[in-house]
Amino acid sequence: MSAAYEVLSLDELDRVPVAEGLEWRPIRRRLGIRSFGTNAYTSERVGGWVVEEHVEGSGHEELYVVVSGRARFTLDGEELDAPAGTIVFLPENDVTRKAVAEEEGTTVLAFGGWPDRPFEPSQWEWYFEASEHEPERAIEIMREGIAELGERGWLLYELARHEARAGRRDHAREHLTKAVELEPRAAERAGGDEHLRELLP
Amino acid sequence: MSERGWEVAALEQIVGPRARHGFDWHPVRRHFGIASFGVNANVAREAGDVVVDEHDEAGGDGGQEELYVVLRGRAKFTLDGEDVELAAGTFLFVRDPAVKRGAVALEPGTALLAVGGRPGEAFVPSSWEHARFAVELSERGDNEGAVRLMEQALAERPEHAGNLYNLACFESLAGRHEDALAHLQRSIELDAAYRGYARDDDDFAPIRARPEFERLVAT
Repeated sequence: MSAAYEVLSLDELDRVPVAEGLEWRPIRRRLGIRSFGTNAYTSERVGGWVVEEHVEGSGHEELYVVVSGRARFTLDGEELDAPAGTIVFLPENDVTRKAVAEEEGTTVLAFGGWPDRPFEPSQWEWYFEASEHEPERAIEIMREGIAELGERGWLLYELARHEARAGRRDHAREHLTKAVELEPRAAERAGGDEHLRELLP
Repeated sequence: MSERGWEVAALEQIVGPRARHGFDWHPVRRHFGIASFGVNANVAREAGDVVVDEHDEAGGDGGQEELYVVLRGRAKFTLDGEDVELAAGTFLFVRDPAVKRGAVALEPGTALLAVGGRPGEAFVPSSWEHARFAVELSERGDNEGAVRLMEQALAERPEHAGNLYNLACFESLAGRHEDALAHLQRSIELDAAYRGYARDDDDFAPIRARPEFERLVAT
């Protein structure tokens, strides 16, 4: 992407179903933003997730902005009513966070980055997107991620998984082996995956 | 920052100095102490109000990419002379720092979020953020407070001509005339444009008659 500027509406963002009604709407990747992370999350149904329950393993500090509807955040067990216009900041990465939609069509924007080092995109951006596609396209997406970030454990793991789905067992075995070298937790995850279990080194 | 590890605010609870052209400026980054990217909100009171001052990101601290999000209302941006109308729920990503950008509100209450950072660099707050608060303190008569803020800005960006100049302004007003002369001299050494600014700047009225000042601003 090389235009000097670009305009995009919320309605034009992709919708990648993740879990429990949560749709991931990639912004950073779509626009090619390189200095901070940002995505939108929408649930079209009341009770659906707009922030998946997680701690921020990356170490990012995170800012959430409720842009439409109404969300209910749960932050380390404490509930917070968040109508549109509410801004929530989490500097601590170990706070367990989650939010559900209290109205249909609730959308939350998320922004993140590290306080002390340059931003780089998260590996999950590629494997979330790849998860929506048939194996050959998913493999292309994972290769794009490796081209941008270099060889990382989870990128290689997901590449291996899609290669295994596509029947490319030799490639899958090679990439899974490398993934486990870089990210030992990948072995445990592969043990629970029907495509990768038998390819473990 | 609270002990609970998170903070919450509505936009209206984040109050900052009113901007030069009249929009309400909500300093989100500074309010929360966000250290990884810049983020502020601008809210216009009336249709026709400026809601983004015309600027580019090539000068000053330089190099920021910016994402604008229209949260409420409607805004007309002008980008290198081209007009673009944006409704609520629209994103404008300005990738090229050299693009001249500005916006006016097309509806009362139009609200924008502006988020920015420099690719490949750890985030450092923009100097203008400190300067804007320092001006507010000075206007309330707290020139010592303004000096302290600009000293903080200078610590974050040492040898920054704009920070040195602004520090000199507030030192002049605070009666620290020797410090003002020293910092003004350094700002001019780093960027000769500040010589011209200083000639007409009322902040230097307390030291204008000093021979050292006259020498500094002489062509």
